[in-house]
Amino acid sequence: MDATMLPEVTAAGVIIKAVLILAVIAAIAGFGTYIERKILAFMQRRLGPQHVGPFGLLQLAADGIKLFTKEDIIPQHANKFIFAIAPVITAATAFIALAAVPVFPGFTVPFTDIYVPSIASDINVGILFVLGMMAAGLYGPLLAGMAQSNKWGIIGSARTAIQFLSYEVVTGLSILAPIMLVGSLSFVDFNTYQTDGVWLVVYQPVAFILFLIAGFAETNRTPFDLLEHEAEIISGYVTEYSGMRWGLFFIGEYANMITIGVIASVVFLGGYNDFWFIPGWIMIIAKIAFSFFFMLWVRASWPHIRPDQLMWLCWKVLMPLAVINILITGLVIMI
Amino acid sequence: MYEFIAFYVFAISTTILFLITVMSKNVLYAMTALAAGMVMISGLFFLLGAEFLGVVQLIVYVGAVMALYAFAMMFFDATKNIKEKHQNPTLVFLLGGLMALLFVLMFSAPIIGDNIQAIYPMIEGVGNAQAVGMVLFTKYLVPFEVAALMLLVAMIAGIILAGKKMDYSLTESESADEEMNIKKGDA
Amino acid sequence: MSLEQFKNRNVGTQNYVKLDLDHAPTDAWSQFKQVVKRTFQPELFVGLGVTLREMMNSLFRGKSHTTQYPFEKLPVSPRYRAIHDMLRLMESGNYRCIGCGLCEKICISDCISMETKYDENQRKEVSEYTINFGRCIFCGYCAEVCPELAIVHGGRYENASEQRASFSLFEDLLTPIDQLNLQQEYAGFGAISPNADENIKSTPLAY
Ligand code: SF4
Ligand code: SF4
Repeated sequence: MDATMLPEVTAAGVIIKAVLILAVIAAIAGFGTYIERKILAFMQRRLGPQHVGPFGLLQLAADGIKLFTKEDIIPQHANKFIFAIAPVITAATAFIALAAVPVFPGFTVPFTDIYVPSIASDINVGILFVLGMMAAGLYGPLLAGMAQSNKWGIIGSARTAIQFLSYEVVTGLSILAPIMLVGSLSFVDFNTYQTDGVWLVVYQPVAFILFLIAGFAETNRTPFDLLEHEAEIISGYVTEYSGMRWGLFFIGEYANMITIGVIASVVFLGGYNDFWFIPGWIMIIAKIAFSFFFMLWVRASWPHIRPDQLMWLCWKVLMPLAVINILITGLVIMI
Repeated sequence: MYEFIAFYVFAISTTILFLITVMSKNVLYAMTALAAGMVMISGLFFLLGAEFLGVVQLIVYVGAVMALYAFAMMFFDATKNIKEKHQNPTLVFLLGGLMALLFVLMFSAPIIGDNIQAIYPMIEGVGNAQAVGMVLFTKYLVPFEVAALMLLVAMIAGIILAGKKMDYSLTESESADEEMNIKKGDA
Repeated sequence: MSLEQFKNRNVGTQNYVKLDLDHAPTDAWSQFKQVVKRTFQPELFVGLGVTLREMMNSLFRGKSHTTQYPFEKLPVSPRYRAIHDMLRLMESGNYRCIGCGLCEKICISDCISMETKYDENQRKEVSEYTINFGRCIFCGYCAEVCPELAIVHGGRYENASEQRASFSLFEDLLTPIDQLNLQQEYAGFGAISPNADENIKSTPLAY
């Protein structure tokens, strides 16, 4: 894809794109809960939701109605303002991160000449921006836990702080090696780099695995779901939340899963290039869907680990590996 | 026009947020306002076209430094109001005001004198990150490396300070079991 | 499920799979070795394979463990002690209860209340018989003590009802006369054991 060939991006196009992202990703995030429940159910030989609508598809609507009409409880001694905005921070940062990510291919709105770009805002430090936004996303759980004056909440937010801070290091370092190869921080350049059909995983398998592991940690998925692990800390930072505020945390989590899926597919798995005879937009959707499925698959299969094992894994295994990977990549580039 | 509005939005909200940080009696409010203010500052960077710095501001200050503050704050009850003790409010006010004035003078002097010049002007066709890199690895190489070394020293010192009993596991050590048994026996 | 299976409660004789857990590593080197072992062992992927296989099984081969409860029910053990049944005599269709009052006496929560009178044939007849299921603890003593195997425990375990009188009158507990052919002998508490005949010994007539 050559940038010069594309039509001019107007403000209207960007706004349409923003609305699209919000609508589609929020819907997918909601739909993701259904998929997750279904897939986990099948993997555990259950049936999953199946009574509301055909195959339980309308369970989503039922859950939505339930969340919206539930009583919104704010604990007596909580800091009400912070308590109220914390879920918004999670959801908002998750969606802002998607602003710099190529989610769907660009297209022109029928009957007008408004061009909707594939990235809402193509800043040339796209990857860093997404990582930064996901880093800022840690304030949702953090403030939520601290504002609710509940000891489980506090433990949850302490775990948030250590887990996100530690694994940001791994994410950053692991993605640095492909950045060195491509020589750019823009998603578009990553995509162009892989047009010849050789995916970056081939050059950077270690970085890919490290990024996946860190991605699991940053999206708070099993095996690293320490932030809200029921058996240990009730529900961590969401202990006191109910109704739609709780729902916002959920939407944020699923949006983050999609973001990680997009980064993994664009940076490591060949982006939205055509593959053989399959057009690019199907490829990218397939890749994102697979990474989403992979997260659910892992959740069904693997146990979760202790906080000390989490820290140990991060600082004693993953980070040195990432640094060595960067060193080797640098040496190979220099020679 | 957009930039004009955006600048004032960012500037005013930064000022208000930092004012809240200083004035608020509640730790949680102060912390949240400080973090939000940092985000607004990164917005200013984006306006200036310094995307790289803006993102670094986000990752480093918002993502890391503030989170560490927050981590320290978990040892207090964050929902309570704090009573500050001022021994000499006049002195604090005077010194603080003087500092602020000094900063304003320092930064406005070249603007008034109208002689700001970029020592390293942006090279055409070079991205933001590259420009920062070029300056860092040519003109400021020595300070950069020295800073890196200092951080390394600080890191090692931190590890040594914190890690004295790092490998001591309560669950696995036999003596800890015995100690607990003894305590149970006492009770 | 047959009764024999239910009766086999011998813990420890089944084929348990024993894990041979290693001891936790003590020094850094063995810790490292453990990590290397765990990293390059395909155990994690075996786990992924198992879940994928199960997904395929439940998706395409219909192997699902779910019992869709209100629509399908699992069989309960014949020894299960749920709401009582009053049985009838197979031959005459009359109820078995002879109004001896033993169950009323033995009930430890004092929830059986009955009244009897003589009918025209000078035979004892039960005129009132209720069990207060708000108090019954389903201990099974009544079924055990009954000399006629008249009161037994049935399989009705869904006890939600608008009023507890719903299933506590004599008529409700009694097998309906038109379903007499469906009445089954109770195998649980107080029932004659399957090998009762073998256990009968001739009375020693030494005196
Ligand atoms: S013990 Fe049996 S026979 Fe005697 S009163 Fe009770 S139910 Fe009737
Ligand atoms: S089951 Fe026990 S408590 Fe219930 S009626 Fe029989 S003897 Fe009484």
